[in-house]
Amino acid sequence: MNDINSFLSRLNSIINFSTILPKIILIVGLITIVITDLVNKGKNANFLYKIFLISTLVSMGILFYQLISVIAFEDLYTNNTFNNLFRFFILICSFISVLLSVDYVLCSKISLVEFPLFKISAGLGGMILSCATNLITIYVSLEFLALSSCFLSGYTKRDIRSNEASMKFLLMSGASSSSLLNDFSLLYGFSDGQVQLDNIIDKILFSQYIPIICISAAFILAGTAFKLSLFPFHQWTPDVYEGSPTPVVAFFSVTSKVAALCLFTRLFRLIFPYLSNEWHIVVELLAISSMILGNLIVVTQRSFKRMLAYSSISQIGYVMIGILAADLENGYASMITYRFIYIFMNLGTFARITPFSLRTGSDNIKDYAGLYMKDPVLTFSLVLCLLSLGGIPPLSGFFGKLYLFWHGWKAGLYLSVTVALVTSVISIFYYLKIIKLMLTKTTNLVDTLKTYENQKSLVSSIISTKLKSSVEMAMILCALASTLSGLFMDPIIKITRNTFF
Amino acid sequence: MNLSELIHEFILALIEPGILVGSIGTVSFINIANSTFSLGLVFTCISLLYFALNADFIAAAQLLVYVGAINVLIVFAVMITDQSVSSDSEKRGIGYFTALGACSILFLTIVCIFHKINDFYSSSIHQSEYLKLNLFEKNDVQNIGYQLLNKFLVPFELASLLLLVALVGAINPARDEDEGKDIAENKKKSFVSSTSPRDKSSFF
Repeated sequence: MNDINSFLSRLNSIINFSTILPKIILIVGLITIVITDLVNKGKNANFLYKIFLISTLVSMGILFYQLISVIAFEDLYTNNTFNNLFRFFILICSFISVLLSVDYVLCSKISLVEFPLFKISAGLGGMILSCATNLITIYVSLEFLALSSCFLSGYTKRDIRSNEASMKFLLMSGASSSSLLNDFSLLYGFSDGQVQLDNIIDKILFSQYIPIICISAAFILAGTAFKLSLFPFHQWTPDVYEGSPTPVVAFFSVTSKVAALCLFTRLFRLIFPYLSNEWHIVVELLAISSMILGNLIVVTQRSFKRMLAYSSISQIGYVMIGILAADLENGYASMITYRFIYIFMNLGTFARITPFSLRTGSDNIKDYAGLYMKDPVLTFSLVLCLLSLGGIPPLSGFFGKLYLFWHGWKAGLYLSVTVALVTSVISIFYYLKIIKLMLTKTTNLVDTLKTYENQKSLVSSIISTKLKSSVEMAMILCALASTLSGLFMDPIIKITRNTFF
Repeated sequence: MNLSELIHEFILALIEPGILVGSIGTVSFINIANSTFSLGLVFTCISLLYFALNADFIAAAQLLVYVGAINVLIVFAVMITDQSVSSDSEKRGIGYFTALGACSILFLTIVCIFHKINDFYSSSIHQSEYLKLNLFEKNDVQNIGYQLLNKFLVPFELASLLLLVALVGAINPARDEDEGKDIAENKKKSFVSSTSPRDKSSFF
């Protein structure tokens, strides 16, 4: 009897411990990278990246295994489906974005080691943010994510635009997290010293403190909407996206937005259930304005990365509809499925831009003219991803948007869904404009494309072929995922349905 | 008011003008070195305030971290940079008055909130709760240490990782590396061969 008891308790402790096992694996990977570089003194760059990829894959595997079990661990975080899905997404993002950044880092001759270090730490911060239910854990992990993203965006230190981007990012993220901290102190004070989110709801006397609750809701909105780049807080997005190195933009355009979405949803769902009408109206207003603003300004953009920045602002507007439309039987299914599809679409688009900008050194949309003749694979996959972003029928972006808008219409958000439909049409316009530019055979090529072939051979002589194909692997993966996920829509929706709390 | 409350009020009355004078001095001194020293005065007075509010751990942490590390770093940086004494322009544009208006509105809001809270919390029910809390905090530092390793273990360890990443990230832009030149030379020499021995990216 004693043996069985001790065995069961040991098993129990192992299972309890394993909820943080993915994060521990990431931490071990981080430390291994630092120590390996210290020992090897800079050779074996591929090895470092392999460590990163292996640790990400292992923690993804463990997380996948844990998606089955639902076990709570301490007060710091719980292990429900919502958290696990977001953590899984963040791991996918980190994995794919590292695949497409290896080439870039080697080619631009910047120092090698710190890049996977910052990426792991940003992924780690995002993962802990996704399952934190404690005010302090939320703040520390948010700062971790913001700081690592800031270092990543300033990584190419000889480029002035990169310096400017990281400076802007640092200042604005500092301002927004100070507003968030202000709000946390309000919540802490008015709930008699409770730090756990669940206990805060119990203790706050809503009838007495309504103005304070409204003020704290406003602060939380200001703090989290920065990371999501919602309408009035979106000013940092185009400049930071344009200035940072391209694989870094790919990484934090998906990772930090996924983590910030999780934070936003959790905070607003748990703390302000009594105020649902008020914050629904405000968030709806913000969503509508981000959709309109993102889609209208993007028409005038000339740089590809800035265009993607504005399009991500409008995509967040669509996702906000999904948050507002959450109800009991469906949970946050629409938001999460759209987010999942968006990860692949966005990373796919960046996976095409990165080799293009490596080979030609330019970011202008006009330089993409006639790309069809030079590199049909790149063109075709870029066409697929852009169409999926726009929402054209057989691709998965269409299914994601369809589900999102249908869900929103059912929840009664008629104005938002109408605006979203109109702005989707506008977005299709500018994506098609780029595709038309790429696919038309122009007789006089742009100068940058004339040197396209030469540059390509230069690049391939330096880097080993294994690394060169990692970007293509990421490209093909994302293209396939953004095309075929539409077919697997139903199982995805079924998994994400169970996420209401 | 008995003697202890009188002493408390007296100490607060000493510290608060210190903070006020220090912060005004930080903003309005023309010589930057003077303003960093008055910033040190502000931090010291804030830590004395923490002592008066019975939070000894935070007071010690404030003295060590803010005065001892951050302020020293700022003074160091100011004294190294060779900047001429700049004179402010006497013109006060529209931005000045807008900021003045916004800050004074915020200040009045905070004062009103504190008055309302003061009225609310000076009722007798909450006084007894505060007395109960005071008995608990005899060993402040022990309590903090206990909580840090039990309830707040994850943020504590995460903060240590954050320090590591912040250190690496701070050194990264400031580091001096010559490898760009060497790589270019190597590339010219061994253009045909596939893998050229790449110079090390030394960590230091």
